[in-house]
Amino acid sequence: MKNLKHLYYGIVILLPILLLFGCSKDFLNRPPKDAIVDAGFYKTDAEVLASTSLLYNKVWFDYNDKASYNLGDFRAGTAFSAYNDRGNVLFNTTAENAENGASWRAFYIVVGQSNLAIHNINTYSGSGVSLEIKNHAIAEARFMRALAYRFLVMNWGDVPIIENNLTLLSDTSIQRNTAKSVWKFITSEMRAAANGLPETPVAEGRITKWSAEGMLARFYLTRAGVEAVGGIRNQAFLDSARYYSDRVIKQSGRVLLNDYAKLFLFPYDNNTESLFELQWIFLPDVWGTQNSSQAYLAYSADISEGDGWGGDKSATWWMMKQYEGFIASGDTILKGRTLDQRLKATFMLPGASYPEITQTLNGVDQKMVFPNNTADVTFSSIKKYVCGKAKDMGGQASAQRYSQDTYMLRLAEMYLVYAEAVLGNSASTTDATAVAYFNKVHTRSGLAPLLEPLTTDMLFKERIIEFAMEGMGWYDLVSLHYYNPLKAYSILNEQDRGLFAVHPDQFPNPTEWTMRKTAWNTIDRKIKAYEGNFLLPIPAAEMSQAPNLRKPAVDYYNK
Amino acid sequence: MKSKQILLYLLIFLSMGAWAQKKITGKVTDFNNSETLPGVNVVIKGNTSIGTVTDIDGSYAITVPNENTTLTFSFLGFSTQDVLVGKQTVVNVALKTKVLGLDEVVVVGYGTVKRANLSTAQTTVTSREIEKTVNTTIEQALQGRTAGVYITQNSGQPGGAISVNIRGVNSINGTNEPLYVIDGVQIAGQSVSSGAQSSSNPLSGLNPSDIEDFQVLQGPSATAMYGSRATNGVILITTKRGKEGITKITYNYQYNLQTPPQHLQVMNLPQYAQMVNQFHAIAGGDTQAEFMDPSLLGPGTNWQSELFKTSAMNKHQVSMSGGKDKTNYYLSGEYLNQDGVAAGSGFKRYSFRLNLDNKPREWVNFGTSLSFNQTKEDLTTSQENLISNALQLTPQVPVKNLDGTWGGGDLTNGANLYAPVNPIAISNLVTNNNSRRQFVGSVNMDLNIMKGLTFKTSFNTNVGYTNATYYVPTYSIGWAKNTIATLSDFNGMNTQWTMNQMLVYNKQIGKHYFDVKVIHESQESKWKNVSAGRTGFLTSSILDLNAGDPKTASNTGGQGEWAMESYLGNVNYSFSDRYIFSGSIRNDGSSNFGPDNRWGLFPAFSAAWRVSKEPFFKFPLMNELKLRFEAGVTGNQGGGGIYSPMGTGASQWGTGFMPSQYSNPALKWEETSTLDGGFNIALLDNRIQLEFDYYQKKTSNLLMSNPLPYYMGTNGTGAVNSPTVNIGALQNNGWGLTLTTTNINTPRFKWESNFNVSGVKTKITKFYSNAAIVDRTSWWMNSWTQRSAVGQAPWLFLGYVEEGLFKSVDEINNSPVPVDNSGNRLPTNVDNIWVGDVKYKDISGPAGVPDGKIDINDQTYIGNPWPKLFGGFTNTFTYKGFELSVLLTFTSGNDIYNYLAMVNSNPNNINLSRNLLIHAMDYAKPTTLADGTTGLENPDTDVPRISYGPNGNQTRFTTKWVEDGSFIRLKNVSLSYNLPSTLLTKQKVLSAAKVIFSAQNVATLTGYKGFDPEVGSYVGRDTNAGNQAQGLDYGRYPLTPIYTFSLLLNF
Repeated sequence: MKNLKHLYYGIVILLPILLLFGCSKDFLNRPPKDAIVDAGFYKTDAEVLASTSLLYNKVWFDYNDKASYNLGDFRAGTAFSAYNDRGNVLFNTTAENAENGASWRAFYIVVGQSNLAIHNINTYSGSGVSLEIKNHAIAEARFMRALAYRFLVMNWGDVPIIENNLTLLSDTSIQRNTAKSVWKFITSEMRAAANGLPETPVAEGRITKWSAEGMLARFYLTRAGVEAVGGIRNQAFLDSARYYSDRVIKQSGRVLLNDYAKLFLFPYDNNTESLFELQWIFLPDVWGTQNSSQAYLAYSADISEGDGWGGDKSATWWMMKQYEGFIASGDTILKGRTLDQRLKATFMLPGASYPEITQTLNGVDQKMVFPNNTADVTFSSIKKYVCGKAKDMGGQASAQRYSQDTYMLRLAEMYLVYAEAVLGNSASTTDATAVAYFNKVHTRSGLAPLLEPLTTDMLFKERIIEFAMEGMGWYDLVSLHYYNPLKAYSILNEQDRGLFAVHPDQFPNPTEWTMRKTAWNTIDRKIKAYEGNFLLPIPAAEMSQAPNLRKPAVDYYNK
Repeated sequence: MKSKQILLYLLIFLSMGAWAQKKITGKVTDFNNSETLPGVNVVIKGNTSIGTVTDIDGSYAITVPNENTTLTFSFLGFSTQDVLVGKQTVVNVALKTKVLGLDEVVVVGYGTVKRANLSTAQTTVTSREIEKTVNTTIEQALQGRTAGVYITQNSGQPGGAISVNIRGVNSINGTNEPLYVIDGVQIAGQSVSSGAQSSSNPLSGLNPSDIEDFQVLQGPSATAMYGSRATNGVILITTKRGKEGITKITYNYQYNLQTPPQHLQVMNLPQYAQMVNQFHAIAGGDTQAEFMDPSLLGPGTNWQSELFKTSAMNKHQVSMSGGKDKTNYYLSGEYLNQDGVAAGSGFKRYSFRLNLDNKPREWVNFGTSLSFNQTKEDLTTSQENLISNALQLTPQVPVKNLDGTWGGGDLTNGANLYAPVNPIAISNLVTNNNSRRQFVGSVNMDLNIMKGLTFKTSFNTNVGYTNATYYVPTYSIGWAKNTIATLSDFNGMNTQWTMNQMLVYNKQIGKHYFDVKVIHESQESKWKNVSAGRTGFLTSSILDLNAGDPKTASNTGGQGEWAMESYLGNVNYSFSDRYIFSGSIRNDGSSNFGPDNRWGLFPAFSAAWRVSKEPFFKFPLMNELKLRFEAGVTGNQGGGGIYSPMGTGASQWGTGFMPSQYSNPALKWEETSTLDGGFNIALLDNRIQLEFDYYQKKTSNLLMSNPLPYYMGTNGTGAVNSPTVNIGALQNNGWGLTLTTTNINTPRFKWESNFNVSGVKTKITKFYSNAAIVDRTSWWMNSWTQRSAVGQAPWLFLGYVEEGLFKSVDEINNSPVPVDNSGNRLPTNVDNIWVGDVKYKDISGPAGVPDGKIDINDQTYIGNPWPKLFGGFTNTFTYKGFELSVLLTFTSGNDIYNYLAMVNSNPNNINLSRNLLIHAMDYAKPTTLADGTTGLENPDTDVPRISYGPNGNQTRFTTKWVEDGSFIRLKNVSLSYNLPSTLLTKQKVLSAAKVIFSAQNVATLTGYKGFDPEVGSYVGRDTNAGNQAQGLDYGRYPLTPIYTFSLLLNF
């Protein structure tokens, strides 16, 4: 017992010592030391603007990286890759296709970050933020979200609309929404964005009211097809497309560059023709805010910064046939030259010189000339968006990191949208403004003005040539498919996507070229597009982890 | 006369015995080999103040009071022996090695306990066992030694990473590595890091030779002492300390010869040329002129011989230990230099340790453990995928061209631009070094306040500094050109400290024994990284950022911190060493949680009944029977997630900010409650000992990144990462058995065995939704995917079931085949599905039943990377001065996906100028048979035809490449010989000498066809914790035979 007494004393004496070592309350309070947390941000105009600036680049990175040309051009048949990306080239984009997954995820990243920006600005911004900037930033987020949904609905059809991810963090019941209601959502959101945006940008490259109205023109033109009845496009929406495109042409202050090639000559960013572009920026060691696509498009490391993996990418035979001036002899030979300056600015032909690009041959730098090759397979490599090496871009480049912007909307499209909206459901038009607007785009490329009535086929071809390698062709086909699916299939099914060779009449300084289909390449020259493979399947992994997407789509506005 | 003399002597002797003292001399030897034992304690029983220790020859001299004196001989690792002096003046003693450490004291969490009174599942690995195998790093020493611990060496790369899983998989997103407690310093095991240094191992700095023993805490009552950090088990490591007695100086030299792996059978140049010819005949294209007649060609380059070379590993270790005047010390230094068997790998370590104990007063004790180490690794082999490149590079490419430049695929030799880059060139050109410096130190003080009551306090710290250099020069090797030289330089610093105060009271009252502890502990950890890079280096001789182009300079930073405070109460009670109870409660507060959920409670309880101590227990053969039961809660605190940090990005308008993760302020502890029942049996005076445990672990509130669908925008560049949530649950059921026997024990010959085997089954029981899945996808390996889903074990292989090849058109038409996107069968023709294509099994459809279509619904789980059984079997034979030890390790029931074989037997790859396994030459060759139908020229083959068609012959993952990863490996055979003392007594310098010959990884019995079945987790370029594949082999750095000569000298 005596011992126990000692024990009590011992404990009484020692417990305070033990407690002395107890830590202060703040000991366990450790907010991040290398980042600001959300609740402490959005406090000034500058912070709110900084919170939407990455909606112009980083969130689009995975789309721009490879999906932009895989979906927008390979599937459309304007370009192809001989050995890679074959699923998309052969119009067999499966549920497991990498770019299918990458672009689905990327568009929903745009949606998620836009939703969170709207939520956080509304929740955390205080009196230090002006109403004007607050509205501006929210309008930017709505603009980006609507644009992402435009890509989503056109690639996958019925998709779920999400306006607040926070309420869905533990919800598994969300369903897809009908394409029709998604289009309604997209246009009404873009109208709201147009209302919140200023006529002049708050900073160079930031979107304006005209960016949003330009998108509205594009959206209404497509939506006229979405709501077509019996193949007849909705006239009210055609009129809206005409209204908005006209406003942008007349009031935005934007003008076409006089030389098409200059659109892609570095530095071309935020030029007078641009209405919205992804604002890529080069930094040596920062990932996600740079333009990486040149790495996959440039034909060789000779003209690129240690990448240049696009040696097997090329214009398709079908694309070449679109350019005026090449004469077909039989089904396997095209011969001649074109006055259309857009060819040289989009694809490379042997002997074509690009003095703005440095080419390293045998260790020696020179001004680039696209090399000649006598094999029976050659490639008309991609030129558009390929701007060369760091030294050609003021040092603003390194491997997979380039700074040239990606056009998302430029004024040329407004002229063509206007013409198509006027043409509407007619077979052709002689409307003076429509024809004049068409010619503005057509003649800029060095071609003679069109004097005949304007038809839908001419417009389609013009758009294909004007926007080749800008990830646009596919969406033109989807727009067409909304009201005339059979025509969309027939365009796709008559395309030749096989191997061919381009040989100049002389090298260097060729005056004309002969293109010859590669005789032994008999398989996979044509694809079969039909109702069953026209839209993309939702990525397989997504379907298995979100079985709720199998449920029938519901109208977003009438759930 | 004679009788008188005798009488006189007798009288003298008796009188001396009556009042005078007596001098005893003698020699102490080892019972099993008759070797002398220096340093044995010799004391008088009942009066321990009189004592001595044996000298270098094992001799001693002691003066005893009288004939009735009993001498006690004690020595670590040996049974204590008592000898009554009687009339002898020379007392020679042969000590037996301790068979069962029932009386031995073992280290447990925050204390020690007598082994017999352990009421929890805990296994021990001692230095004696560790020293038999060649271990570069400490975890290697544990392999095959203890039940319940599944260890795989993820890479045979020197110093490379190891996975240690104790009792199954406990986490989906977080680490599964245990908590290491090294002399009280808590170091959490880490998952693989990403980036250029991902194949490196953070624990590689510790010198295995300094380790006295490992205690592997497995039972919940033992691990719960470490509360929130203990869910993955705890490994307590005690380093060697000095002992009172003569100074021991030892020197150990080890020379290892590491041999290359057995080559995989790839094509030589004539075979390669032949297949190129055939390919062009089928698919079109021109064959180069030299290949037209393959018989004229030489064998070409054997890239495996070029890459793998016999290489050396050297280790020098010096230690000095001893104690005098209440101060004991252990001092050691080590230098280890290991070259890898594959070019571009290597490991170097310098380590130093000082352990000091001092007892200046009866009531106070000071202890210090200081260790410092430096390691340097060459990581090029793994990070640049040199092994798979060596297997895939074609034999027509020379290592070096005639002009001395590096050989590569180019127009001259016809290899196209898809041929891998010359691995020998890369190993010479690329620099990828990782250097670490680590200081681990602790000081502690024990104050004996009164009998039984002690106050202990300790402070310890772990400071680490890492510097990594990654340099890729410009090169032009055939097609492959790197036009820009890049250097990145990484510096990381981490510090951690722990302060601990403990009040311990123990008391024996009659048959009741109490041991009560109250503990307070606080710890803090901080890290900070800076990395920088430049490009444009003109010379490779100066690897410093300053030598690069300043305009290209880039840098990143990052830092973080973490803190934890804990209170722990622990009571142990035993009655008559028969009923043993232990209970503890730990309360942990962690900075990873918000104020409402900050504190977590981790109780545990255990009970043991030593039935053999009962009076009624009368089984003479069985000397120990102990039944154990324990239950407890452990936790996991994850890595935070209560805040939503704003990530930054560049924009032309200045830095842009976006949330980088959804916050979850309600985040709380992950809890694992474990039930464990077991028993210990000892038979025939401890010669047979059996220990068995069965356990069930249920983890709830699993901390994980919520596996949200992609539509939540949480996957990809610029994504808001999914919040960390407590939503999952998983369960581990398992068992472990250890059988230790002394089969033969005679003075000359001894044979001991240790056999352990364990099994565990992990099942995920709950996620965000029942359909939720967590995938690990390796995008660089054709998006190889392993999936965790509810109701399954984690990380099962995902793929199709392959049912051979189509042998006729009829067979195709009567079988399910792949469909297009609208679900229509692909046509039967050469461009689509054709004879020689792979036939897949129709498993399911959208409605959940087979639908006659091969599509995504037919993917299933085709393999499980986790073994059903694993274990080790050690046999040790001792004869005179010789000791032979044989260790076998085995695993059974795990699957390996042989990705390397899949890629390298894809006949289409011949078009990419890639070499293939010889097997690929037998690709299916469709032909018109005699009856006019299409069949195969070689119908017995399992390699599909050459085709880029939509059937996806070698691009879909199928069961064909899932191989049984079971193996039995002769892990180590070692033969040691103690030089006899008769030889040594002729000089004064050496007191003992031992030579050891050993061979490691000598033979492996397995059905697996790759280099090595011990695959483990994928390490290498592009890996990170979120995508790390399990059981996938794509040129893993193999473990190869190592032959060792080792010399151990005691001075």
